[in-house]
Amino acid sequence: MVLLLKNCNAKTIASMLVMGAGQLLYRQWIKGIIYLGVQAAAIIFFISQGALMIRDFITLGTVEGNAWHGTPGDNSVTMLITGLFAIIVLIIYFSLYITNIKDVYETQRLAESGKKIPGFFEELKELSDKKFYKTVLFIPILGVLIFSVLPIVFMILVAFTNFGGETVPPALVDWTGFESFRRVFSLGSFAATFLKILGWNILWAILATAFGYFGGLGLALLFNKKCVKGKAFWRAFPILAFAVPGFISLIGFRFMFAAGGPINQMIVNGGGDVVLFLGLNSTWLSRGIGLLVNTWLTLPTSMLLATGILANMNKDVFEAAGIDGAGPAKQFVSLTLPFVLFATTPVLITNFMLNFNNFGIFFFLRGGFISEGYFLASDTDLLINWLYRLSIDNNYYSLGAVISLVIFLITSIISLDVYLRSDAYKKEDIYR
Amino acid sequence: MKKINVKKLFDNGITYLVLLTVSFAFCFPVLWLLLASFSKTGSIYSFDGFFPAEYSLDSFRRLFNDTVMYNYPKWFSNTLLIAVFSCLFGTILVIMTAYTMSRFNFRGRKMLMKITLILGMFPSFMAMTAVYILMTHFNLINQHWGLVLIYSAGAPLGYLVQKGFFDTIPGSIDEAARIDGASGFMIFWKIILPLSAPIIVYTSLTLFAWPWSDFILPRLLLKDRDLYTVAVGLMSLGDDEFSRFSAGAMFIAVPIIILYFGLSKFLISGLASGAVKE
Repeated sequence: MVLLLKNCNAKTIASMLVMGAGQLLYRQWIKGIIYLGVQAAAIIFFISQGALMIRDFITLGTVEGNAWHGTPGDNSVTMLITGLFAIIVLIIYFSLYITNIKDVYETQRLAESGKKIPGFFEELKELSDKKFYKTVLFIPILGVLIFSVLPIVFMILVAFTNFGGETVPPALVDWTGFESFRRVFSLGSFAATFLKILGWNILWAILATAFGYFGGLGLALLFNKKCVKGKAFWRAFPILAFAVPGFISLIGFRFMFAAGGPINQMIVNGGGDVVLFLGLNSTWLSRGIGLLVNTWLTLPTSMLLATGILANMNKDVFEAAGIDGAGPAKQFVSLTLPFVLFATTPVLITNFMLNFNNFGIFFFLRGGFISEGYFLASDTDLLINWLYRLSIDNNYYSLGAVISLVIFLITSIISLDVYLRSDAYKKEDIYR
Repeated sequence: MKKINVKKLFDNGITYLVLLTVSFAFCFPVLWLLLASFSKTGSIYSFDGFFPAEYSLDSFRRLFNDTVMYNYPKWFSNTLLIAVFSCLFGTILVIMTAYTMSRFNFRGRKMLMKITLILGMFPSFMAMTAVYILMTHFNLINQHWGLVLIYSAGAPLGYLVQKGFFDTIPGSIDEAARIDGASGFMIFWKIILPLSAPIIVYTSLTLFAWPWSDFILPRLLLKDRDLYTVAVGLMSLGDDEFSRFSAGAMFIAVPIIILYFGLSKFLISGLASGAVKE
């Protein structure tokens, strides 16, 4: 960049002032006009709307709507999101501006060293060859930017406002700094609920991941045993369970454990009393059932994965170990397990995160209780369920946003830490 | 010699006992739902223990004919439309992204990979409100194309498994083709794509199954009963409609089951080859 500033000539400076000017001076007509068009479009956009959008983003509206007088007023939430949109446009404009300067400087150097300046169509051809990645990545990046990055940034910003509860449009929303964080962490009912749910959520994620993972590995080893005939047949049963969409199995299990469901009918017919498996007061019973059902749902995937990985394993090692007198248990601990763990660390992390944020399991299984001592949550709810209830069901958007940030911090710190410590990261080439 | 045989026999016995238990545990709930769909009365309370007292095809008849309250055939075609198009667009985007990230070494590539890793860690609900507001702005509430747009746009974030697959195809193939004068696009189209059948099948299957059984997004974005997808529709069924639920459930589970069984070979190899490397 410094070199560019030191060496640039008049034509390059022209492009710094007006996008595309330098390209036009070098007779690259089409490219110059495109850059010029971008510049014009950006100016028109910011004069007509963009500047206002960014101003509104900072103030979040000043005129409150009045339904009585029929005055529309400002919609703070729309302003927040359109302001973000304008900022993204601004960022895109600046990056185009930089590429414009780099491009013309490139041309300047080609001209100075006496080489031929490529025409528009030659450059277009580059885009399907050496710069193919630019062509390909454009649409995915745009999509991710609009539908993933923009909403996430929006919600991060919402955590610093008082949006939610009574304060939803047409009322005006304001920036309030860390006020929502203070409410979640120090206000009696919030803080208590938060800590209780957090503790259960961590325990749940660890247990659910371990059950699913080692269960799947165990199944794969079982199906791989030499004495098992008709492996494909036996493997079909877990795949059957895998293929049924998750929410159907979950609702099915809910019916099965319901107060009037088949299990209770059998208990009653046998002379027992009805057991409220998933009832209001059966905290640990519902948690246990949740764990069981979740294992049922996740075992098939991890079994398939472990099967695939075991198939990649070098069989000679086992024979050698057998000759040296290592029993099956020893072989498992010192040969199979390290290999599988190495190969699946990323999957293990993904599973941990999926379980940590497992929305479906208790949402479908247990429905919408509110337990005693919890603020708008039940004792099996995970943070993600609480988040859903707070923001989608009850409009507590800013508090929900704070909780999302906490979830994000926890999951990213844990998974980064595990990943950085793992062999999969440290010794990338060990099995290659 | 005889002692070893006894031990082996015992081992075999235990193995098969475990196999039977496992198979039963996985088979039973599915079987239970299947039989419940043939129940005559429809309510779960009339069952004799686990299974219906009387069997008939009534719930299936009602599922397709009694469409005033619950228009199942319409829900089904809605879901099919959304899932097919999301799968199509999503697969194209994921495969292209993964291929590029695996083969091209450009500035900012590592950075891009780290950013996607971090983006994946945000809980997806966090963005729901914002997505809702965005969709209202684009006028895509109550529109199936809105869902297709979100599913396809979100798909490329999950490119890591596919990238792992492309990493296992040796780079020397590309170089040979490049020497013969093939362009970047030609190499992808003529050489890499035919080699990547397993991962394409794996990707399209997962991307089909996601909208097919997703519940939260359609519930948020589709307001009219006739626009519902099957998942939202089935959730809206009353408590006394258990057999209608299970009959409906059979119809959405069956296509997926057939697909999975038909393609399970691809599935396993795709999953495994993608996962071994980072």
